[in-house]
Amino acid sequence: MSKPQGSNVKERAKSALKDEFLIDAVKFTTEKLKNGKKAATAEHGNWEEWRERGRQIRLHTIAHLDYYLSQFIENARAQGVHVHFAPEAKDAARIAMEIAKHKGAKSVVKSKSMVSEEVHINEAFEELGIESIESDLGEYIIQLANEPPSHIIIPAIHKNRYQIAELLSKEAGETLPPETKILAGFARRKLRDKFLEADIGLTGCNFGIAETGSVVIFENEGNARMVSTVPKTQITLMGMERLIPSWDDLEVMATLLPRSATGQKLTVYMSGITGPRREQDGDGPEEMHIIIVDNGRSLQLGDPDFQELLNCIRCGACLNACPVYRHIGGHSYPGTYSGPIGAVLTPALNKNTQEWHDIANASSLCGACYEACPVKIPLHDMLVYLRNRKVERGFTATGEKMAMKGFKLLMGNHKRFRQAVKAGQLGQKLLVRDGYIRSQIGPLGGWTANRYIPALPKRSFREQWAGMSSEVDKSMKPMTGEMKSRMEEIVKARGKGGHHG
Amino acid sequence: MSKSDPEFLSKMSKESQAAEKQFIGNIASRLGRSAISSAPEHPFRGAPEFWTSYELGREEQIARFMSNWEAAGGFTERTASMSDIPAIIVRILEEMNATSTIRQNLPELEQLGLDEKLPELRHYAWDGLDAEGSLRTAEQADAGIVLADFAVAYTGSMIVTSSTEKGRSVSLLPNILIAIISAERMHTRLGEVMSRVAAVPGEQFPAGVHFISGPSRSSDIENDLTIGVHGPGVAFALIVG
Repeated sequence: MSKPQGSNVKERAKSALKDEFLIDAVKFTTEKLKNGKKAATAEHGNWEEWRERGRQIRLHTIAHLDYYLSQFIENARAQGVHVHFAPEAKDAARIAMEIAKHKGAKSVVKSKSMVSEEVHINEAFEELGIESIESDLGEYIIQLANEPPSHIIIPAIHKNRYQIAELLSKEAGETLPPETKILAGFARRKLRDKFLEADIGLTGCNFGIAETGSVVIFENEGNARMVSTVPKTQITLMGMERLIPSWDDLEVMATLLPRSATGQKLTVYMSGITGPRREQDGDGPEEMHIIIVDNGRSLQLGDPDFQELLNCIRCGACLNACPVYRHIGGHSYPGTYSGPIGAVLTPALNKNTQEWHDIANASSLCGACYEACPVKIPLHDMLVYLRNRKVERGFTATGEKMAMKGFKLLMGNHKRFRQAVKAGQLGQKLLVRDGYIRSQIGPLGGWTANRYIPALPKRSFREQWAGMSSEVDKSMKPMTGEMKSRMEEIVKARGKGGHHG
Repeated sequence: MSKSDPEFLSKMSKESQAAEKQFIGNIASRLGRSAISSAPEHPFRGAPEFWTSYELGREEQIARFMSNWEAAGGFTERTASMSDIPAIIVRILEEMNATSTIRQNLPELEQLGLDEKLPELRHYAWDGLDAEGSLRTAEQADAGIVLADFAVAYTGSMIVTSSTEKGRSVSLLPNILIAIISAERMHTRLGEVMSRVAAVPGEQFPAGVHFISGPSRSSDIENDLTIGVHGPGVAFALIVG
């Protein structure tokens, strides 16, 4: 498939929904990941206690982020790391480019980093004429396709092996069969050379450990180890909220993250990297840089509705659980992050509130994301806050605004309501067949495109009320004196007896 | 490529110090207070209490480790004594048609005597003082032989740390990984290893601490499991004791 086209979530989702392979692939993989998580958490047991502990650690860290970040920086510097600060995405790219230029770098190998997607690091390297190669197999595939990742954990979730064979064959200069083993084998050989040639290795960071200044990376392929072992210079991009206080806390994150992401007990590799190589070590980078990135994260701090967003450990479980994501795929969402976390994070990181346009609506508010989240982020509540803020700031679509005004006008006055029902009963005559409206005329299409509307009954409930009320009166036992007098008092206390028609 | 340039790094360091104040200050002010410099109380540190008392006996630990390592696609063997290990490794290397090995430069591995037992193969020991040479031999070697610092039964993980004698490449670049794990270094939970790692003083802290739980793998093509993408595709855990 090609990337879904359109200028907003709705249009892109429409285009994605026409792509049968995309729907099947995303459904198949998310289902597998979801079941893997279910089995792994059941096997481990006491999952709720672990989730709660994970939440507590993340809440505590974020509430004292200034302290832990300072501690992390001090300890990393003590091990010889050069620490840099990037308040904005462009600062992160600028600092990385300064380092690369100064090193006279010709090529960079990258392991997976969502922050690097945020700051568009590949484009920045490209502008300087520096080759920047993604080494995670999924990332490598989508880099060749020139597409952004469509899932936090499985970036090429939307591609099948025939498409991948085509992309890799172009790179190989020969036709490779669409067999997973052969394709992966080609990528291994090709990327091995790249690792050995590269001047700079660029990594992301799953957690920064404050007490030792260590960067922790979880991965299965070994490419992040290659990136942090072979090149002479290492640059690590770290979101400023990635911290945990201690190695003890890492046990909790290592329990939650792999199980939630893929159902593994632990990823094949979990590496703690603390500073550049020691003087007499033979491998590991000679020079190590950590760029700490804000890029909108600090906007969440001190915001009671959204601060918990910073607790996210980027496992992707909410994507796999989300009925909307599972149908429309990651490319329907704007920005780097997709699924429920993306629906909240993208507008939150982005100061331009116009961008909020329709992303918060790409959710059914069912709460499956919260249930799946290993650190219990109330994403579904956040989506409601987001919609609320959108309305408060006047970004509601004109049609919706008018509809709400109309609703108020109708429902606020019983005569108007009655007239409207009458008009509807008359008007629908042209559209009703077998008791249902199927027509997709005008705004009706939004509903009837996928289901029917039951017709308005010939006599509304309110029209039937007079008859019904006398029947009810007749069938009721007479009230006792005490009850009657109490009712009369209530009616009296109500003044004119209520203001509803 | 240029070597580290002190002038450039000191310029960047100055910029970093200046930016840090503002960066941290902004975080504190968003949190509605001034920056804190003393350690906050952390009542929820580490795993929940019920977990920290979870213990397996030695036999159970080893059985659990082996079943986890195999479930991840690795191979295991167990033997009573280190003296059995050379024969097992010789068999593995012959079966895999290996032509060269690289090992951590440790006396226990030296004493395996592979050079004499398999003289037709090339055998290297990692030498941190010859960085380029060691990297090249690790890249060309078919098998990397390491002695695990620790192992964790519950997750089926073995841990290697880096030093002059113990290059990270040994457990990474060759296609076959052979890890020797002494049963005495086996623990039940990850947390037991975490606290031992954290207790190492800063000046002795290893640059690389690697938890390895089987052969390299990827599910990035149609979620079809592929073994041996960048790291070793064949991973042996040999348990002694």
